[in-house]
Amino acid sequence: MEKAELKQTLKKQIIEFLNLTSLKPDDIKDDEPLFGEGLGLDSIDSLELIVLLNREYGILIKDPKEGRKVLVDVNTMVDYIEQHRTK
Amino acid sequence: MSRVLITGIGVISAIGWSAAENHIALKNGACGIGLPGYLHSRYAETFPAGEVKITTEELKSKLGLTDASVTRTTALAVHAFNEAISDAALTSNQLTSGSTALIGATTVGGMCLTDELYRDANAVSTDSPFLASYDCSSVFLYVQRHYNIKGLVNTINTACSSSANAIGYGARLIKLGLANKAIVGGAESLSKFTVNGFNALHILSPEICRPFDANRKGLNLGEGAAFLVLEREEDVIGKKVYAEVKGYGNASDAFHSSSLSDDGEGPYAAMQGALASAKLQAADIDFINAHGTATENNDQVEGKAMLRIFSKPPPFASTKSNTGHTLGASGAIEAVYSIFNIANQEIYPALNFTNIDESIGLTPAGVYKKAAIKNVMSNSFGFGGNCTSLIFSKA
Amino acid sequence: MPVNNKLSVIEPGYDDIPKNSLRRMGKSVRIGMGVALAVIKQVPVFNGIIIGTGNGGMEDSIIFLKQVVEYNEGLLTPAHFVQSTSNAVASQLSLASVNRGYNITHVHRGLAFEMAAIDAAMRLLENPEHCFLLGGVDEISGYNYRLEYLDGWYKKEDALIEDLYNTNTPGTIAGEGAVAMMVSNEKENAAARVLSIVTLHSSDPIEVQQHLLDFLEQHNGLDISLLLSGENGDNRTLHFYENAEKLIKNGIPVARFKHMCGEYPTASSFALWLACKLIAGEPLPAHMLKKGDPRAAHKNILIYNCHKNLQHSFIFVSAAD
Repeated sequence: MEKAELKQTLKKQIIEFLNLTSLKPDDIKDDEPLFGEGLGLDSIDSLELIVLLNREYGILIKDPKEGRKVLVDVNTMVDYIEQHRTK
Repeated sequence: MSRVLITGIGVISAIGWSAAENHIALKNGACGIGLPGYLHSRYAETFPAGEVKITTEELKSKLGLTDASVTRTTALAVHAFNEAISDAALTSNQLTSGSTALIGATTVGGMCLTDELYRDANAVSTDSPFLASYDCSSVFLYVQRHYNIKGLVNTINTACSSSANAIGYGARLIKLGLANKAIVGGAESLSKFTVNGFNALHILSPEICRPFDANRKGLNLGEGAAFLVLEREEDVIGKKVYAEVKGYGNASDAFHSSSLSDDGEGPYAAMQGALASAKLQAADIDFINAHGTATENNDQVEGKAMLRIFSKPPPFASTKSNTGHTLGASGAIEAVYSIFNIANQEIYPALNFTNIDESIGLTPAGVYKKAAIKNVMSNSFGFGGNCTSLIFSKA
Repeated sequence: MPVNNKLSVIEPGYDDIPKNSLRRMGKSVRIGMGVALAVIKQVPVFNGIIIGTGNGGMEDSIIFLKQVVEYNEGLLTPAHFVQSTSNAVASQLSLASVNRGYNITHVHRGLAFEMAAIDAAMRLLENPEHCFLLGGVDEISGYNYRLEYLDGWYKKEDALIEDLYNTNTPGTIAGEGAVAMMVSNEKENAAARVLSIVTLHSSDPIEVQQHLLDFLEQHNGLDISLLLSGENGDNRTLHFYENAEKLIKNGIPVARFKHMCGEYPTASSFALWLACKLIAGEPLPAHMLKKGDPRAAHKNILIYNCHKNLQHSFIFVSAAD
């Protein structure tokens, strides 16, 4: 899958998974921080995104702290997916 | 306003079937946590828990509970309830009097029947005996029916502080003249539902928990039940009295649904509230039964809050490394343990603490010893920021 | 109008709830927050939050359960588990209003709201200057409805609202709702005064009658001007309500409310809200009146509710002066 396409897909998945009903994929910038400022997600969301990576891409992140290093923005997530996906 | 005195206690947990057994276990530093043998979950092989070592059917049979709708949580509640009312020597008339209240607490309720609930909630038709057994109130509605309780009956669910709040509610009913006696407590059973929930939050420890330790990895779940019989001072002449319910504080942390604020606003306010209601100073507290779940967040925040209140904290320990975290029952079980401190004038060793966490800077009590104990504080801090602190005192 | 025997709330847009929090909230949390935040806007300074809920959290619990089963206890998302605790309404409210005061959730099914109200009354005796947010919240929830339906509490046949009380069949219609109020010792501008709450667990009609008699005797000095009855069309519990009607003086009007809100554990909170409206002088709608003269002044209202043939409450409400 092309990187751009993967980014769009991932944004749709994030919105659906986290029930961000007021957002569309184009509302999420590739380099917008997911946590803190930017999208303003919290610790529960980070656990949810770890599950998303597992269910959609077969990636297993065991330690949530390690997960936060990956879950910085859409760009870092997509890079990680490309390197580690098993489906 | 009458003093509220404790005349009966009953408890069942991973470290004992009765108050006497729990007491001996605490003295001996016994740990009841291990890989659960009766819980039907794939995590029974991964996460140790404080399990009561009996099947639900055997427990029900022992108690003579033939009603198919009775769940494990209810059976544990009945076991502890029996002990407490017998210990307080309540007559049948007293038990069924309109001025005797029953205040219970649980978070799991009948959802220990995880698979059955899933089946029934998706069923088109069913002859399941459990349809009315799933919610929290089902436990204490059963106790009400079984013992014919005619006074005020209530069920509280504020996550991990549930039964601490039940004790507070019952004590206040008596203090304000709305009840003469109150049987207060909580019950909880291990369940697939909670194991999976806590695992999804990544706060379960794969080894026996280490409250306040630098290398703590999270909590162990536990199960059990405990009840206290509370009576007015004027009604206990000639009866044995364990202790007084002296103080009660309840506050909301108002920070996040599953973690406490960095400065421990909720725990701090709850402890302050308890001291104020008891008309005591921090220095009057001789021992603290800490919430101490051994999660990174709780112990960190609890330690900070303790240091905000106690310039020189008294000896303290979490008994969750003996029993596991019994969730809705923890407030009541740990209240009974606090009563042991007072009734026996002793403190019990905190288990599994080896390395001080420098960022907390506190070391729990290391050994069993006799001590002059007048006032014990018992803390319970729950999901949703529900923080409760109780103070028990020598009567 | 009930759909499939369920009277559902019509949800507003929730402008006061931050979208980031709203997305995670189950219905009972949303509707509870919605009404409570509206009340808090009117009285922004208060000392705590006291909520009664029978079913709160059930729906989220079962959604989480679905994951447990369908993913065979694999890697699961925690959000529904965290929202599944009954205290979600009270704790989300404390977050949204940054209220660090007293916070508690009572879950004793058909008496959950009464227990919360008694808690509030105790807090006010302990702290006469304080005021508290008191609420009753329950949602129908697909799964919970099914459990209750299978347990025989809802009509097997489709019920029309107009005929609800004449059906002479077992079961009632499901309802849901959220009521929030600020309570204090302040008489000025108060909507009403709750004088007394008595509760009882009994399936024995004679015992219930005796309790009501005792309750009426205790409040002998007060003239009841209206009996607000929780009659709900279930012919198995009708006798409790008819007995209550027999005990009050002849000619006192009797009104019913469950055709408006449906049956749910904290429906008595809806009745209390109605009582406040009536005491404020709003005319009693004709569809509520069962018997008696509706023009009688509604100064002292007795609410009698029975939940599932077992949990009874008598609440005496009067004008605040």
